[in-house]
Amino acid sequence: MLTATLTVALVGNPNTGKSTLFNALSGLRQKVGNYPGVTVEMKKGQFSADGVSVELIDLPGTYSLAARSPDEMVAVDLLLGRRPEESRPAVIVSIVDATNLDRHLYLTSQLLDLGVPVVVAVNMIDAAREQGITIDFEKLSQSLGVPAVPIQANKGIGLGELTKAIRESAEQGAVPNGPQFPEAFVLVAEQLQKELSDELPPVLVRRALTDVGGYTEQWLVDHHGEEFRAKLTSARAKLASAGHAVPGVEARARFAWVREAVAASVTKPAVRPVTWTDRIDSVLTHRLWGTLIFLLVMFLMFQSIFLWAKPLMDLIGSGQDAIAKLVEGTMASGPLRALIVDGVINGVGSVLVFLPQILILFGFIAILEDCGYMARAAFLMDRVMSRCGLSGKSFIPMLSSVACAIPGIMATRVIENRRDRLATILVAPLMSCSARLPVYVLLIGAFIAKPGSPSYLPGLVLFAMYMIGFTVAPLVALTLKRTLLRGAPPVFVMELPAYRRPKIGAVLRRMFDAGKAFTIRAGTIILAAMIVVWALLYFPYKDGEGNSYPERIEQAEDAAKEKADRLKELKEKDEASKKQPEAGEPIPPQLSDEEKAELEKLEETAGQADKLNGEWKRNSILGRAGLTMEPVFRPLGWDWKIGVAALASFPAREVIVGTFGILYDVGDVDPGAVGDDAAEAEDKEKAAGLTKAVQEEWAKDPVRGKYGVPVALSVMVFFALCCQCAATLAVIWRETKSIAWPAFTFVYMTALAYVGAMLTFQVGRLVMG
Amino acid sequence: MLMPLDMLQAGEWAEVAEVTGQPAWVGRLAELGIRQGCRLQVVQPGSPCLLNVSGCKLCLRGGECSQILVRPVGE
Repeated sequence: MLTATLTVALVGNPNTGKSTLFNALSGLRQKVGNYPGVTVEMKKGQFSADGVSVELIDLPGTYSLAARSPDEMVAVDLLLGRRPEESRPAVIVSIVDATNLDRHLYLTSQLLDLGVPVVVAVNMIDAAREQGITIDFEKLSQSLGVPAVPIQANKGIGLGELTKAIRESAEQGAVPNGPQFPEAFVLVAEQLQKELSDELPPVLVRRALTDVGGYTEQWLVDHHGEEFRAKLTSARAKLASAGHAVPGVEARARFAWVREAVAASVTKPAVRPVTWTDRIDSVLTHRLWGTLIFLLVMFLMFQSIFLWAKPLMDLIGSGQDAIAKLVEGTMASGPLRALIVDGVINGVGSVLVFLPQILILFGFIAILEDCGYMARAAFLMDRVMSRCGLSGKSFIPMLSSVACAIPGIMATRVIENRRDRLATILVAPLMSCSARLPVYVLLIGAFIAKPGSPSYLPGLVLFAMYMIGFTVAPLVALTLKRTLLRGAPPVFVMELPAYRRPKIGAVLRRMFDAGKAFTIRAGTIILAAMIVVWALLYFPYKDGEGNSYPERIEQAEDAAKEKADRLKELKEKDEASKKQPEAGEPIPPQLSDEEKAELEKLEETAGQADKLNGEWKRNSILGRAGLTMEPVFRPLGWDWKIGVAALASFPAREVIVGTFGILYDVGDVDPGAVGDDAAEAEDKEKAAGLTKAVQEEWAKDPVRGKYGVPVALSVMVFFALCCQCAATLAVIWRETKSIAWPAFTFVYMTALAYVGAMLTFQVGRLVMG
Repeated sequence: MLMPLDMLQAGEWAEVAEVTGQPAWVGRLAELGIRQGCRLQVVQPGSPCLLNVSGCKLCLRGGECSQILVRPVGE
């Protein structure tokens, strides 16, 4: 009887129902295992097989053990017990598709060489039955030499027999035999093994021999020097002269073995019936109808993201405000309260606000992937995407980035090719995300949509801003694929799996996992960045005389509040007095001189708090840095205020609207209120006030007064191209598991933004003369 | 008569005679079932094209299809 925990590995081709089986066996007891140096994550689940506790590891779907990258090597090393984090699996479960045993048993035959007991789980027996395929499981087990168990993972059928077979195989510990290779191959492999001094598993030596240019070969050359490559080459030449050239020798030996096993146990109808999948595909992969349906699906998806995420995001925003008010009400003012309210609560809010979009997008992606449509979408979009050196699989991540780059970057996990995935991750932040919209709307409202200018101009400029992302991103992707990420063109072969009904549980789990991964791992980094910028704008918080700014602002606010009623009364009277009386109406009473002076004074008092806030931020560390950096901003046509606002927006670009508000003395402006007709009256008034303040301030300046439009365009181009989003960088870090890639993204995008903004301003200045 | 795979029309069947190119790519195709002696049907020609290989739908790009030499056969 076994008492310790059994480690069991689950291996299979993509689209075999591997994840479904994993979820069915382990239920909710799952966690994610990370492996240093690689981007793969493997899920681990726990369950009990007749009193024996089992740890189940879900390996990434693969067609073969021929590893081509460090990511694929992790799976092979794990199966061989060469990863220090995991104990060697006691049993390998090889899951195969009953409708296509010929192909799926190829991987099984490779697993049989690993020296670990194997159990074959034959999934989707219902689909096989529908296609008229019958399988004799007793005979199949006999020819494979290991137990073969029929299951139907989506309905939980056959799981009892499967766990029983796992437990029995672990107890017996019988090591299976894979297919026989030609004698010449065995001899050459043994010879090569002897020449390697250390104790390498024979199976890896064979892999190195057959996988020309594969990762095993590369790893061995790295560890044994270039002379090993010479030995390998001569061994391969020897095989070729004996008529067993690699890699053909492996495919021939294995497929001959598979054919024998299948012939003995499987009967198939002579003519494959036309399946539902074929009928649906004749429409969905059609060049015209398929593309139209795809565009419709995409439109519905993004429409729902905008529609459903907006109220949830607003809810998070008001929740954040409520908590901030609560804290402000209970704590005494000072740096600590400011840290909690403006740093922590604001930071947590800016993390959570991304969640609705991530959850909804991942819900859609999970449904599209589980039902098999994702592969059709990639097929349809491949022609377009191959022009910029990517494949069809990059399309949905890129398009998702128009809503927000974070879910877009997380969605690149569907791209298996590492270089393609990296290129997609690196250009995704260039797509114009929704956080850029308030910036565009503010500046277009202030400088482009002037009375007298053509009515189509604002829309055209907004469209141009989006087009910047749509054109620059593919160009950068192409450049990256030709330089930094150059390599053999990826082999684009993709399987279009049969359509299946998506399972609600699996979809919910994908959404939950994506949300959790973002909140916990990326969230902490975002929070830290938000707090740093808060501190840079907060300190020093005392003016030249040693008085605290927050206190002075509070006093000014109190003073304004006291006089608020009188101010309102005077304002109303003033407005009424300016109205042209209609015929027959009496002339409205005019304001006396004393009242006019009082109104002016009261208005000044009301604006005092905003003015003090502006003065404070100008004297802060970041404000002073902006002042010293003014020469850097000059070629862009910017003054130091625009510079500080841009600097402060590096953790989150929507911050610029609020920062502009503070710097132009109109107080904090809610970016959501800019251009939003449904916003609260007070917020809307502030947003309108900001537009006016920016216009007035720029008019006073010789450069910005004359070249207001080029400056506004320069700021917009900068925001279109710059990576001003700590969350994006944190997610890139998380997804690539390397600090180098977010650093690279930040540097290249900032450089691109600077050059783009400079060109915009200088060309604009030339055109205006 | 041998011809590259991308010369076939929609619905035509063929037997694979030879897969040429990088060994890694030949190996990858063999894993997916495209190897010497196997039968396949062109579901949708072009790039990328759609193939039916023993009941499985695979999609390949045109340039890669031209590296697969096939012998057309009747259904």
